[in-house]
Amino acid sequence: MRNIDLIQMRFGMVSVCLICLWMHPAIAETEVENGPFNNSQCINCHSERNPQLITQWQAGPHAASPDVGCNSCHGALHQGSNNKARGDHTCIGCHEGSASHSYTTSKHGVITRLEEEGQDREQPLQRGNYRAPGCSYCHLHDSNHNDSMSQSSGPEMRHWVCSGCHSPRFVREQLANGKQQLKIADLKVAEGEALIAAAADNMSHHLEILRQRLLQHRQNILYGVGHQSPDYQWWHGQPALDGDLIRIRDSLLQIQQRQRVTTDHKE
Amino acid sequence: MGYRTIIATLLLTALLVVSVSAGYLHWSKGGSGSGLYSRYWSPETVQGYWDPDNFYQPQESIAGIFDATLCIQCHEGITPGIVNDWRASRHALSDEPVYCNDCHGSDHQRLHLPTPRICGGCHEKQHGEFRDEARYGFPSHVLAMERAVDAPHFADKPKAEVQSCVQCHSVATKCDSCHTRHRFSATEARRPEACITCHSGPPHPDDESYFGSAHGKIYLTEGKDWDWSKKLAKGNYRAPTCAYCHMDEGRHQVADKSLWKFGLREINPHTSKNRLLREQWIDLCSDCHEAQNAERWLSELDRERKSAWAKLYRAEDLLKDLRSNDLLRPAADERPDYPMGGFWSMERIGFYEGQASAFYNVSAIERDYFEMWYFDNLGAYKSAAHGNQRGVEEGHRQMAAALQRIEIKAQSMRQFSQTKQGLVTKPAVTDLWMKGGYTEFNRTNN
Repeated sequence: MRNIDLIQMRFGMVSVCLICLWMHPAIAETEVENGPFNNSQCINCHSERNPQLITQWQAGPHAASPDVGCNSCHGALHQGSNNKARGDHTCIGCHEGSASHSYTTSKHGVITRLEEEGQDREQPLQRGNYRAPGCSYCHLHDSNHNDSMSQSSGPEMRHWVCSGCHSPRFVREQLANGKQQLKIADLKVAEGEALIAAAADNMSHHLEILRQRLLQHRQNILYGVGHQSPDYQWWHGQPALDGDLIRIRDSLLQIQQRQRVTTDHKE
Repeated sequence: MGYRTIIATLLLTALLVVSVSAGYLHWSKGGSGSGLYSRYWSPETVQGYWDPDNFYQPQESIAGIFDATLCIQCHEGITPGIVNDWRASRHALSDEPVYCNDCHGSDHQRLHLPTPRICGGCHEKQHGEFRDEARYGFPSHVLAMERAVDAPHFADKPKAEVQSCVQCHSVATKCDSCHTRHRFSATEARRPEACITCHSGPPHPDDESYFGSAHGKIYLTEGKDWDWSKKLAKGNYRAPTCAYCHMDEGRHQVADKSLWKFGLREINPHTSKNRLLREQWIDLCSDCHEAQNAERWLSELDRERKSAWAKLYRAEDLLKDLRSNDLLRPAADERPDYPMGGFWSMERIGFYEGQASAFYNVSAIERDYFEMWYFDNLGAYKSAAHGNQRGVEEGHRQMAAALQRIEIKAQSMRQFSQTKQGLVTKPAVTDLWMKGGYTEFNRTNN
């Protein structure tokens, strides 16, 4: 008897699940108007429909910025809102300069641009659906509204995303090399900062500018390895840091030489 | 001693010198790395992906001999992106499909990455043209990898750091730099964007200089509607693209018409050989323009180059003057040396002294010259060659500013070294360049 109850219960549960799954697109289509909607309307409704998405968004970098709301990327209308949000140009509108230039000149960026018109962006941001990764494919992978490429999302996520197209070993090797490149960049930044610290008493505006450049060039390397841009890893990165170190040393050399001359005069 | 003995001795000495040099060259290439300095560096494992012939090691974790059906079945789950890509490619859609194992092999423990030689098994014409490019010398696609690894700074710097070099220089060792995997599309490779991942940035702003030119602007406005399946030949495209000019008729050579080369040296553009190249360019431009106009544009490029070299020589002379007075600090022996050392240590000024590696461990004024030569000069050159007048003006404005900075700095270095009595005192030695976290890491990591 018990067994029959259990079987019936299971059958009932499965039926409910199946009916819901089957109805889901219909429910979604019938209930939703096209808009326009403002931010709080989006959040109100989606807090019930996709609470996870809202939680992710709240924990992510966009929620922290008062100027970026749902419709900054999705537009105010429902129709075509995914297509709009998933296009590279939407992200590049705000993420200008090195952040996006390193990507648009990379192979991923180039292919995404060349295939823009043929790509169905209503497809979920999942493995196998895109020929090359656009900004959203990696950073909002599987609709993760917290940056899926951020440090906090962890290396496993990066590995999962890249290995949708690349062999697991290739991904491991590339990610490891990226880490090494950044470690080298950090050594250069630390070398520069130690040199500047040695000149603390003579800290000039010029040295402060050089310190800023170190940080900027280190950031370029992060963009370079993240976006697979050899140009940002190299010309905007490592040799640029080498140049900063030369100029920091030269400033120190001049300070030393001037001190020596002053001492000589006193003697 | 008769003249015969003298000649015989000279011949023997020459023979000895040649064979010793050849022996040394052979020996130098026998190390764990590759190229001239192979004995001074060891590759990172990741370099196997950029230079498979030399460094790729197959993975042994999966054993078995697989045919294409099995490869696809498994990789649809593991790496669906590449399977989709292949399915949309000519390789899959052809009457006689090219399958995974045709290029990678079937034994999973002995898989290989397809190199130009493997692609050339079918694409004989393209591979033949690609290999034949070597006869035009540097710069070229086919010689790009040796160019990278034979640079002293490649041997010297930590190998993880210089992996960024081989990503672009792998255009010599793989075909997918332009025909990206696993679509390997010719139409994609014909688009200018296919070139810009490598042809961008300070020493070769080919992207900016082209996209800012009249040709590039036409492409940016209309290019997406052009039929890219057409051959790169007269009448097929409204404006020329990178490949239309540099790989005309689809020939897989980019260096065959190269006149001013990389732009790092002054050349005589009117030697008999270069006159032939000029005719080839004029022919090509005549696909759309009057021949006289093309001639005039080439002469404008010559004038631009002359003016660039006037500025560069002026800067080079100032640096050589400082060097001959021993005023450069750090001096040659106050800088970290390359692992392979050198016959003598000398500050590196100008092309023949290895200026291309002089972006680090040098004095500030040498670095200033490096940037003027490698960035500003090449920016101006590329702009002139691509017909981008604004870029030419900008490049020359930057060169003039750099020259002025170098002049002022050189003058202050000379003044600083003169005492009131007009005597020259040498600047004190410095060890500033020899210490530091990265500097020490670099010394122990080749």
